[in-house]
Amino acid sequence: MTAWLTCAACSHRANRLPHETALGTVSAPPEAGLPKPFRQDIPGAAFDFELCPIPGSADGSIAPFFIGTTELTWEAFDVFIYRLDEQAATPPPSTPAPTPTPDAVTRPSKPYLPPDRGFGHEGFAAISMSHKTATEFCAWLSLRSGRKYRLPTEAEWEHACRAGAAGAYCFGDDPTLLPAHAWFADNALATPHQVATRKPNAWGLFDTHGNVAEWCNAADGTPVARGGSYLDPAAALTAASRRLPDRSWNASDPQVPKSKWWLADAPFVGFRAVCESVPESK
Amino acid sequence: MPDPTLNSSARVPAPAGEVVPPHRPIAQRHDASAFPNPDLDRRAFIRSAAAAVAVPSLLAGLAIPNRAFAAGRVRSDTLKVGLIGCGGRGTGAAVQALRADPGTVLTSMGDLFADRLESSLKGITEELAESAPARVQVAPEHKFVGFDAYQKVIDSGVDVVLLCTVPHFRPIHLKAAIEAGKHVFAEKPLAVDAPGIRSVLASAHLAKQKNLALQVGFCWRYAEAEKATFERINQGAVGDIVTVHSTYHTGTLSARPRQPQWSEMEFQLRNWWHFAWVSGDHIVEQAVHSIDRLAWALGDRLPLRCNALGGRAARTGEESGHAFDHFAVVYEYEGGRRCFHTCRQIDGCPSDNTDYIYGTKGSCTVNGWTPLHTIKDLAGKELWKYEGPKRDMYQNEHDALFASIRAGTPINDCERGANSTLMAIMGRMAAYTGQTITWEQAMNSQEDLSPARYEFSDLPKPPVAVPGKTKFV
Repeated sequence: MTAWLTCAACSHRANRLPHETALGTVSAPPEAGLPKPFRQDIPGAAFDFELCPIPGSADGSIAPFFIGTTELTWEAFDVFIYRLDEQAATPPPSTPAPTPTPDAVTRPSKPYLPPDRGFGHEGFAAISMSHKTATEFCAWLSLRSGRKYRLPTEAEWEHACRAGAAGAYCFGDDPTLLPAHAWFADNALATPHQVATRKPNAWGLFDTHGNVAEWCNAADGTPVARGGSYLDPAAALTAASRRLPDRSWNASDPQVPKSKWWLADAPFVGFRAVCESVPESK
Repeated sequence: MPDPTLNSSARVPAPAGEVVPPHRPIAQRHDASAFPNPDLDRRAFIRSAAAAVAVPSLLAGLAIPNRAFAAGRVRSDTLKVGLIGCGGRGTGAAVQALRADPGTVLTSMGDLFADRLESSLKGITEELAESAPARVQVAPEHKFVGFDAYQKVIDSGVDVVLLCTVPHFRPIHLKAAIEAGKHVFAEKPLAVDAPGIRSVLASAHLAKQKNLALQVGFCWRYAEAEKATFERINQGAVGDIVTVHSTYHTGTLSARPRQPQWSEMEFQLRNWWHFAWVSGDHIVEQAVHSIDRLAWALGDRLPLRCNALGGRAARTGEESGHAFDHFAVVYEYEGGRRCFHTCRQIDGCPSDNTDYIYGTKGSCTVNGWTPLHTIKDLAGKELWKYEGPKRDMYQNEHDALFASIRAGTPINDCERGANSTLMAIMGRMAAYTGQTITWEQAMNSQEDLSPARYEFSDLPKPPVAVPGKTKFV
């Protein structure tokens, strides 16, 4: 059996040989015939992140896809929001897709508050963005990479979160096991933590339960946040639980019109990107 | 038209030695015995609205659906609100004023720029979509644009004005509003220089004499979590305060590229954050919130003097003006106690907005951007943390303001706000000059940052201050 690693627990530029991490040895691939994880460079930054292959569902309703091994971190998101790719001296990477035009993607306005809220930056999940901002990040990354990125549908997200398990959580129904897998109200001390510092699920995904809730597209395309966050109790972290955004998520933005890019009162929501395909050239 | 009852000031006995307000306090206009009115029931309701707990039962008893208050009837107990300064914050403040009290109506708006005024009116109308026709009644002749727009708003028959322009104009607008007998909400900071502070203090005094509201937008003073925490600190929860370190470490603010049709005056005003004469620099414009909380932790005691370090490490481009991007201030108090404030506006650095308060019996951290407010003993054991409600502090602020006006006991926290603003200004003075600045020096400073003329024409580009060379004035 060929071991493949989701070792964001150790390093974002991980070596791919089997090794122990603080969380134990990362599991082997769940199913034969799956492609390997791949790493996506962030244009204009010396940073990349890993995406895990997710098999299609047994009933065929969900096609295979790739999804971020971890919640998207600030190292990647900063490049988008602060236009670091436009400032970078290095030429854009050649891609099989048409040359992207920066104008084709809308970038968010300057946030009113530092969106990381001082919780921590490197290795921490990007938070406080609206569903629109997360969606635009995916559009930007698609243009710049030549691969098709987008937010997961709810069905995809739940499928990836469960990793083949049928219980309330990816490890079954016993909430006493949750602290090993998730940052949530009981153990997080009201602050998010660096990604991939709890156990991954069977398909290698970290923090699907807890840490930060994750933006998805509901069946009708509207925003929904899944997985619960560092502020939520165990019951709000199940694979099935969902939370709809409302006015309270941006109530205290003192400006009118309120920002459509940033949520002043939702420092608990982030996202992980889905990639529909991996071009051969990569 | 102004309410004719406003002119019968003879009904208000003037206390000896006090100036008779030309404009009677609003609450007294609601005295039913003085002014019998068939609308009495609704008036009674409005008075009770000040005591918020009474509202639901009264609503039920009178069987008036909530919507009735937005249904467009002309109210005899209306409070007409004028907005001066139609940026994002002023627009937000107007919405909060309209939500704070069912009798408020926005009738006048003023700004330097027509585009800002129109987008603000659109934003307010959209925010109040359901009740907008009744609550937003800004006639075309009550939209004022230009440097004198503030006076036209004040003179347009309003009862309350919201002063939300760039900070430079606050003392001028405040003076005009109080002299005209208007209740005032004034955004922080209150001034950018010492002459401005002295003017504001005179206005605060006059507002007290006239029994006018003069609320300053130090919104944290109206946040439940901060109120609960600082109340404990002021009552000795961590013993006597040994020191406080407050931080406001954040990213850069917007910059607007020069447009060919703009004069230098317009360019600097559109990029107001980055010019000290307009904003006071970011320690005065933004970090003053954290300096105010430092003062709060110390029971609003005044510092004797301060030293400061500061500079401009990462700002580029003419839009970024001459403002510094970091300050570190040491405030010295009676008995040699030193307290610290640091602020930074540089992208790519860790952000922090926390007050670290250390006492003889323990410590307290008050984090402005996260839910954490905790008190610990000297061994680091958590003794208390805030777990109560956290409502929108900006709305709380306006709720308190209008309730106080209705109750006839208008809020006036202007002197405290002026002191916190001067603390920030003296920090800037110390950083720009590199010198120790005493409170008296700061208060009596003759440095007037005002431009020679208020007109859209040429304007000098202020130089970047150089500590050791820039002189204290």
